[in-house]
Amino acid sequence: MEGMSYQRFPKIKIREMKDEYMKFELRETDVSMANALRRIMIAEVPTIAIELVEIEVNSTVLNDEFLAHRLGLVPLTSDRAMGMRFSRDCDACDGDGQCEYCSVEFHLSVRCDQDQTLDVTSADLLSADPSVVPVDVANAARSASFDSSENKGIIIVKLRRGQELRLRAIARKGIGKDHAKWSPTATVTFMYEPDIHINEDMMASLTLEEKLSWIESSPTKVFDIDPNTQQVIVVDPEAYTYDDEVIKKAEAMGKPGLVEITGREDSFIFTVESTGAVKASQIVLNAIEVLKQKLDAVRLSEDTEEADDQFGELGAHMRGG
Amino acid sequence: MVVMKAMGIESDQEVVQMVGRDPRYGFMLLPSIQECANDDIFNQKQALEFLDKKLKPSLYSSNEGKAFGVLRDFFLANVPVRELNFRPKAIYAAVMMRRMMDAMLNKDAIDDKDYVGNKRLELSGQLISLLFEDLFKTMNEEVKKRIDLGLRKSAGRSLPIENFITGDSITQGLERAISTGNWDLRRFKMHKKGMTQVLARLSFIAAVGQMTRVKPQFEKSRKVSGPRALQPSQWGMLCPCDTPEGEACGLVKNLALMTHVTTDQEEGLSPLISLCHSLGVESLELLSAEEIHTSNSFLVIFNGIILGKHRQPQRFATSMRKLRRAGKIGEFVSVYVNEKQRCVYIASDGGRVCRPLVIADKGVSRVKEHHMQELRDGVRTFRDFVRDGLIEYLDVNEQNNTLIALYEGEPKEEITHIEIEPLTILGVCAGLIPYPHHNQSPRNTYQCAMGKQAMGNIAYNQLSRMDSLLYLLVYPQRPLLTTKTIELVGYDKLGAGQNATVAVMSYSGYDIEDAIVMNKSSLDRGFGRCIVLKKGVSTLQRYANNTQDRICKPLKKGETDRKGDIEKMRILDEDGIASPGETIRPFDMYVNKEVPVNTKDPVDLQNVGFKSAFQTYKGAKGETAVIDRVALSSDVNNNLCIKFQFRETRRPELGDKFSSRHGQKGVCGTIVQQEDFPFSERGICPDLIMNPHGFPSRMTIGKMIELLGGKAGVSCGRFHYGSAFGEPSGQADTVEAISKTLVDKGFSYNGKDFLYSGITGSPLQAYIFMGPIYYQKLKHMVLDKMHARGRGPRVMLTRQPTEGRSRDGGLRLGEMERDCLIAYGASMLMYERLMLSSDPFEIQVCRTCGLLGYYNHKLKITVCSSCKNSENVSKIKLPYACKLLFQELQSMNIVPRLKLTEAS
Repeated sequence: MEGMSYQRFPKIKIREMKDEYMKFELRETDVSMANALRRIMIAEVPTIAIELVEIEVNSTVLNDEFLAHRLGLVPLTSDRAMGMRFSRDCDACDGDGQCEYCSVEFHLSVRCDQDQTLDVTSADLLSADPSVVPVDVANAARSASFDSSENKGIIIVKLRRGQELRLRAIARKGIGKDHAKWSPTATVTFMYEPDIHINEDMMASLTLEEKLSWIESSPTKVFDIDPNTQQVIVVDPEAYTYDDEVIKKAEAMGKPGLVEITGREDSFIFTVESTGAVKASQIVLNAIEVLKQKLDAVRLSEDTEEADDQFGELGAHMRGG
Repeated sequence: MVVMKAMGIESDQEVVQMVGRDPRYGFMLLPSIQECANDDIFNQKQALEFLDKKLKPSLYSSNEGKAFGVLRDFFLANVPVRELNFRPKAIYAAVMMRRMMDAMLNKDAIDDKDYVGNKRLELSGQLISLLFEDLFKTMNEEVKKRIDLGLRKSAGRSLPIENFITGDSITQGLERAISTGNWDLRRFKMHKKGMTQVLARLSFIAAVGQMTRVKPQFEKSRKVSGPRALQPSQWGMLCPCDTPEGEACGLVKNLALMTHVTTDQEEGLSPLISLCHSLGVESLELLSAEEIHTSNSFLVIFNGIILGKHRQPQRFATSMRKLRRAGKIGEFVSVYVNEKQRCVYIASDGGRVCRPLVIADKGVSRVKEHHMQELRDGVRTFRDFVRDGLIEYLDVNEQNNTLIALYEGEPKEEITHIEIEPLTILGVCAGLIPYPHHNQSPRNTYQCAMGKQAMGNIAYNQLSRMDSLLYLLVYPQRPLLTTKTIELVGYDKLGAGQNATVAVMSYSGYDIEDAIVMNKSSLDRGFGRCIVLKKGVSTLQRYANNTQDRICKPLKKGETDRKGDIEKMRILDEDGIASPGETIRPFDMYVNKEVPVNTKDPVDLQNVGFKSAFQTYKGAKGETAVIDRVALSSDVNNNLCIKFQFRETRRPELGDKFSSRHGQKGVCGTIVQQEDFPFSERGICPDLIMNPHGFPSRMTIGKMIELLGGKAGVSCGRFHYGSAFGEPSGQADTVEAISKTLVDKGFSYNGKDFLYSGITGSPLQAYIFMGPIYYQKLKHMVLDKMHARGRGPRVMLTRQPTEGRSRDGGLRLGEMERDCLIAYGASMLMYERLMLSSDPFEIQVCRTCGLLGYYNHKLKITVCSSCKNSENVSKIKLPYACKLLFQELQSMNIVPRLKLTEAS
């Protein structure tokens, strides 16, 4: 097998791209690649999240751990994360929030002196670094149209008269594998692109009512009737959820083979939703970057001594074991 | 017959008339009549004399006239004897005989003692009044004794009675009984235990469930199936699901949702009795023996006393009921016509269970739409419905005279009542289960027991409480699939669980035997996270010699520290009490208390010797707890009392126990990264994975419908309902309707999704049944149970390792394990387990006498103390417990001799 190359050149076609949402096609590659990309997006694209909370005053109804957990889950804008260091690898400091390479310091100080309940939200988290702020705060700042009266940020705790919360928090870089708060994605998923072939001859033998009932059998709107020709057409192949309902319906109608649906093994439709920490498009780019780094690490250590320690059996495999 | 004669019914004919003129009765009475004749008993006097002889002779007085007293005071004590008129009693006895003979002739006439209508519940008021009566009478006796004594001394001077009523024996007696739960009333021959219980506050449902519990009086050990079986008559009164497993199964019951237990009528019974008479009941006094059992009349029995007879029982019953509905007599008075026994029973006594039903006239409900509108507008309450005669309370007996329709609109003429709602036949605990009528019945019973162990919210004031142990969920949720009962009891406001997206599939092999696989990201985000609050108390005792415990300042750095206590005092404040907010580790001190050395003899208060008695936190290693709160108060004896609350936050770990609401418990088998979890093309990724093998044998269809309904609920944004038997009345969503919503929202009608493997990215072979199910975290967590030991403490007496987790004990190699090793022949392993790792000990044995010797360290020789020499002494190794046995045997004059042979 030496010398033979399986190299392919995957193509990406972007269908839709917003800050927090992205849909694209990935073609001419196989599942392993698509899944690797998905897994990295969930677990290994770094972001910044609060990791250490020092509570000075807490007279709220929630206890310290509860608050710390909630603070940790607040998404922070993490465009800087790729360039930052993990605090465990940082030589310059001990990760106390002072070091610009690995940590960002936050302060929160709220006290309720009125009779209404006061919401402590992510907007009250004051960052030492203007580039790392809670996501919704950043959104509010960016767009004037963002209705700030309705969206006051992520509620952390509610205070009544006399209650106070004062704390210092340190946010650090991390990856989703360690804790879900560092995962930049809300949803990452892909599907095989469906290939739908309608047997037109057989379809023509159906009456309009039969066609309609057949179309209705699909829970999602995949097929429709052309109003002009009264033919069944595929309106949205991606709406198909591989539920086999139409195939079962066709069989029940006594017309097996009316439609043939297969997943195309080499093209995938990705959907990426971001928590806002990193732009959806950037998540994909970062993921590819991380994947490259991982592959580089494998390649570089192929013939070094650490290879055995680092990759164990994998190294042995690569050396033809 | 003798007894009847003793009560003044001297004529045999009259007795037979009283019982009834059926020749079969007469035939059965014949031997008794014969006996009277044989023993020459013909009149009352002879009968009483005969009975006197039968009485147990007593030491103090002759039995002369005793039988009369017994007949008057003890025989059928519920029938009052006025002015020595025994006639009511005689008639009562005759009716009893008649019923007995009926039962002999016809087995169907035997009363069922498990029939709920024949049972009475004892409420707290009755128990307390009994207790009070006993204590009050005891006090009176004491006072009388004291006054007698005082009178003897004072000789005629006036004695104010207040001086003799001293002490607080009633208060103390009440307090003692209530705090221990032991009702020991010798006067009433009552010795009951566990009459009071501390309300379990482990979860909201546990507290509510405990308050509906009904416990029987007789002991549980008897192996009878009758009282344990489900009684048809408990329909609507007692929950058919909620009963414990094991020895109390079927005996301990729970009230259903709308059950009411009657209390004794306050205003006395005479108005009701006179009402009965004015409604045409012919009094017993006026009836001859012959007239009692005429074919056209029914006996009227009021609270177990025969009032008389009535010629038109149905008319009498209807007019009584009309009066009740009009509110003229108590709403809980029951009127029951028993055709078979030809009796009308009227009951107004306490302890009957009853439930409300809608009254219907010829199948048409009295509750009309405008009534319901008024109820919705808040103009009308449930009380008004009862007052206006639209709804009435019926007890179990009266239900036999009714025909109750399940729903409105059944076109039957004979229908007299309509159920308010079928789901009310279940109790509170069973009411939490969605679609319980689709489950196999034991599953509902299991859930009733498990719902009480689920953690969540306890009460609105849960954070101000100081319970000795409290489990709270960090993010409790309201179930997506609710029931009417849930709304009624407020479980939707004090939930104990979370809605987890469950995929029913096999995954990784760590899900066998009901284990579940959990998603790590879900746990990171707070799923199943719980807060454990524990209490520690320290009281500063005051002693008889006026000395008192004290709290000392912690040692500072640099001060002399003899026992290394300074490390333990890390979290103490200046006042010697741990400060709130500090993390506390095991063996950390939380109060630096000192106790006086001498607490008995009078000492110089300025110069008291103290010894340290600090309290340390005892928790598992590696567990970090925080001091939540410190409360200073005074206890009942006015001593300073310091309470500490320790808090830990735990996330689910391997081995923690979870359960759905269908009796399907399981432990967490493994925790898996989100990226390895299966996902759908919508991006849905389950929170936990359950093995499909949990379904076929358990037959919990309700769980499947819950999943479907939950899935439809989240996709359409409406809480779905799954009340018991609710489909016909619209209290539960039907599967058809749910499937329709699912299809509308683009899901498959059967709730299955097309999933991709998270590990490879390729599609899974099967469609996966996936959707939200309400999961409860149960209070059994590994952290509280985990135990292992290498070396550790030993028991002083036997020098063997201690027992039990709390004492860091060893793990016992028991008899059966030992048998296995013997059978296998692993002698060295046995030797190691049973001796070397337990209690090895070296002794000196004299080879000549076989008794134990000792080693003299000074002379460095071994000596046998019985032979008085040091020859022939060998050293052997044996378990210390064995040596102990030898010595104990010696102490009771048995000589165990060891005969040693040379080891080959």
